[in-house]
Amino acid sequence: MNRTALVLALLAALWGGPAAAQSDPKAELARLKPKDFPTQPIEFTVVYPAGGGMDVAARLLAKYVEKWSGDRIIVNNRTGGAGMVGHAYLATQAKPDGYTAGALANLVWGDAMLRAQGRWAYTDLEPIAYLNTDALTWVGPTEGPYKGMSVKEIVQAAKDKPGTIRVATVPGSMWEYIVEQIEASSGAKFLRVPFQGGGAGIAALVGGNVDVAQGFYSEFRGYLDANKAAPLAVAATSRMDFLKDMPTFNEALGSDQYTWQVIRFVVVPKGTPADRKAYLAAAVRAAMQDPELIAEYQKTGAFFDPKLAKSTDLPKDLGEYAERERAFYVQTGRLK
Amino acid sequence: MFERALNVFWVLLGAAAAAYAWTLGIVGPAGPESGLFPLIAGLIIMGSGIALMLMPSQRAEIFDFPRGAALQRVIGVVLGLAWLAIAMPYLGFAIAGVVTMLVLLRAVERVSWTVSLGLAVASVAAVSWLFGDVLGMALPRGPWGF
Amino acid sequence: MDALGSLGAGFAVILTAQNLYLCLLGSLIGTLVGVLPGVGPLAAMALLLPVTFTLTPVGGMVMLASIFYGAMYGGSTTSVLLNIPGEAASVVTCIDGHQMARQGRAGAALGIAAIGSFIAGTLGIVLLTFFAPAISAAAIRFGPPENFSLMVLGLVCTLYMITGSPVKGALMIALGFLGAAVGIDVVNGRERFTFGFVNLTGGLDLLAVVIGLFGVTEILANVEQIARGAPLAGRIRNLWPTLADWRASWRPILRGSGLGFILGLVPGGGPVTASFMSYALEKRLSDTPERFGKGAVEGVAGPESANNAAVAGSMIPILSLGIPGNPVTALLLGALIIHGIQPGPLFMTQRPDLFWGIVASMYVGNIFLLVLNLPLVGLWAQLLRVPYYILFPVVLLLCVVGTYSANKNVFDLWVMLGFGIAGHVLRKLEYDLAPFVIAFVLAPLMEQSLRQSLVMSPDGAMILLQRPVAALLLAASALLVALMFRRKPINGGGSP
Repeated sequence: MNRTALVLALLAALWGGPAAAQSDPKAELARLKPKDFPTQPIEFTVVYPAGGGMDVAARLLAKYVEKWSGDRIIVNNRTGGAGMVGHAYLATQAKPDGYTAGALANLVWGDAMLRAQGRWAYTDLEPIAYLNTDALTWVGPTEGPYKGMSVKEIVQAAKDKPGTIRVATVPGSMWEYIVEQIEASSGAKFLRVPFQGGGAGIAALVGGNVDVAQGFYSEFRGYLDANKAAPLAVAATSRMDFLKDMPTFNEALGSDQYTWQVIRFVVVPKGTPADRKAYLAAAVRAAMQDPELIAEYQKTGAFFDPKLAKSTDLPKDLGEYAERERAFYVQTGRLK
Repeated sequence: MFERALNVFWVLLGAAAAAYAWTLGIVGPAGPESGLFPLIAGLIIMGSGIALMLMPSQRAEIFDFPRGAALQRVIGVVLGLAWLAIAMPYLGFAIAGVVTMLVLLRAVERVSWTVSLGLAVASVAAVSWLFGDVLGMALPRGPWGF
Repeated sequence: MDALGSLGAGFAVILTAQNLYLCLLGSLIGTLVGVLPGVGPLAAMALLLPVTFTLTPVGGMVMLASIFYGAMYGGSTTSVLLNIPGEAASVVTCIDGHQMARQGRAGAALGIAAIGSFIAGTLGIVLLTFFAPAISAAAIRFGPPENFSLMVLGLVCTLYMITGSPVKGALMIALGFLGAAVGIDVVNGRERFTFGFVNLTGGLDLLAVVIGLFGVTEILANVEQIARGAPLAGRIRNLWPTLADWRASWRPILRGSGLGFILGLVPGGGPVTASFMSYALEKRLSDTPERFGKGAVEGVAGPESANNAAVAGSMIPILSLGIPGNPVTALLLGALIIHGIQPGPLFMTQRPDLFWGIVASMYVGNIFLLVLNLPLVGLWAQLLRVPYYILFPVVLLLCVVGTYSANKNVFDLWVMLGFGIAGHVLRKLEYDLAPFVIAFVLAPLMEQSLRQSLVMSPDGAMILLQRPVAALLLAASALLVALMFRRKPINGGGSP
């Protein structure tokens, strides 16, 4: 494999032009590839069930990492406890030998800070590459008394008639936190109906069982196109390219605290040898600059946070987001 | 005798579960809390245990605890499985599996060592091929890479 | 009706060499996975998902879908022959299917299972073809109150499965509820009964529980009593179902198809729930319910049909609405997204080639599976002649790997072993194990739906009566309970 990559690089250099730029990552990979690694498939651990947003992102990534590095990648779903089992496995049990990597979301920080009970910290997992970001979105109905309302109007309605507007939440996660924030700053009161995931909430919305659902673009896009759901607002710092008419929460409600996103990145357990870590990082980066993968990710509604995409010190930059989340937990009394 | 012990176990289990469920909270402002269903379950278990202790008609007619060779066979199988669970992450599926197969084959029927070894290696190899290559699942590898 | 024309177009899509090959391959893999104890269709589909990358969307979806319903065919094989379920939806088949095998009628049991599966699968797809939009419009309105009432009905059906002491049966059901409570409470995110063990935060894995309780237990029981080298069953008497079998089975097959299809539609339903509700229904409707548990062919025909029809039913929410009702259809959803297809209400009109191609493939797949499985009946039945002391270690090895394959977590193996030992003791003391598993499956959904309903409702529990479907289901449950007391209590020994 080494040799093939080198030959390709050589040929590309001879022919020059765009071909050279294309094969740079491959040459880089060949350069960084440690001796006798990998000799068996590399596992990308996903802590959520197959078919979900994280799983889809990880499988797309694996496909392109395989394409660029030629190594075999197996995506493995270690589910349970809303991610807790898989996170704990990666942080405490996975062998730091370079054969296990985690395709995680920033939800790991919540698990580490609130539920790990001191057994592990998010710093036990070293981020090596950034994938994409998905912002939480509120979706409203296209039938019924609340159809056509803007997010501001709905919050007002929740204030006028406290406890009547049903919003689908996922307890113990950002789905709940944003509702809490809105209630705290506006005095509104929503009726929080718990579900196991965003998708279930959106299904309930379409069925008339809740009035507001929360989820990601890939989850409600089908309903959007069929005019069964209407996007209300997105919890990001700027509007989404594919839904330019949808305001951000910060715009609509006049604040800057409503930023709730799923940030996806790849980690390796702490203690992974530096050369293998660098190789894996380069492999993922190579996949991430493949225009096909970028297009696939964009189709799912994800976007690329410029700060993280261009980061030269990913642990530090991600750490900033993590500590911001910790501040939220302290402020709301969840953490001392 | 065993049945009575089991009934006592049910009562204790039910009581413990109900007590733990009580600490989880039964009813809250938003309806039932985490403890409601486990509390009911624990109470039913406790109640059933008591009922079983009081009603001889509900008991099993004969309970034959395995003795002698039968007990050895059962324990052999259990130990074989336990070994696999303990050893597989360290020695890998292949090695731990062969040892387990040997234990199982010898425990029940005293199959000769050669036949056992052959069967053990063959079956572990077949299962590894089936799951590892056909289905693409990675079974744990041991320190020697397989 | 436009559906026929579209279906014709779908056949045009599927009847290419490559798509047919993929359908066949998926059916084979599904059957294999169904036969192997522990490995379920979900694990196999997840493992093969990367393979679909190189295929066209139709090809990939066809292959994955055929694994799903193929597993429902294969699952009955080990249930009948070894009393070990191939996967959770085949647990109920063990009860009567294996007794039939012990009476030398393994061939009849397997044959009825295969043909019943074919009829039910095909009926389900026919219903899907013609009624998908209307059904999905109704299904989407199924909310927490309806879910809860359905689970209550399911629980009542579980009561029908108790063959021995009612007190012991109630105890096992309560234990099932308790077991299901281990893990994270989804309604408020709190941990219950985990006592600081990380591995318990995910709860007890269903597959580990099922394989332990029915696989390991069965093997321990047989190993204990083994007579030197004796195979499991005597001479195979008849390889095919008799006319009497058919006469007894055709109505359960039809009922199972209907019931399974409806249960497949609702989230939290699916093949597992369908299989035991069908069993309970057949037992209730039978004139001679005491035959159940001793080799009643209706106890095989109904559940095996129900779980296949449930597959067709569960495809409706995903194909017509883009809503996954269970982890398998959630995986199919993910597969569609990976291929760049947007599932949702417009899927049928935006990609009719894909929609109808998948539907057409289900017809074809069912035929493949029937053709595959029927001749294999004779072959499988020969498996019973292998001396047990060689058979059981291999089966145990497969159980271990199968259980491990779900989460790659060794802890599941300990769960399997623990439940195996517990099940062995309990069976000796004449406890029914099936009610435990069914309660274990139902409890989380039941609890979640009830608490969701109560949160949603301004009138508290009245919402269950205000919504017509929920009220209807609750009334049916009450009726079934009342009817139970009109029958004489059922006498019988233990059961699986």
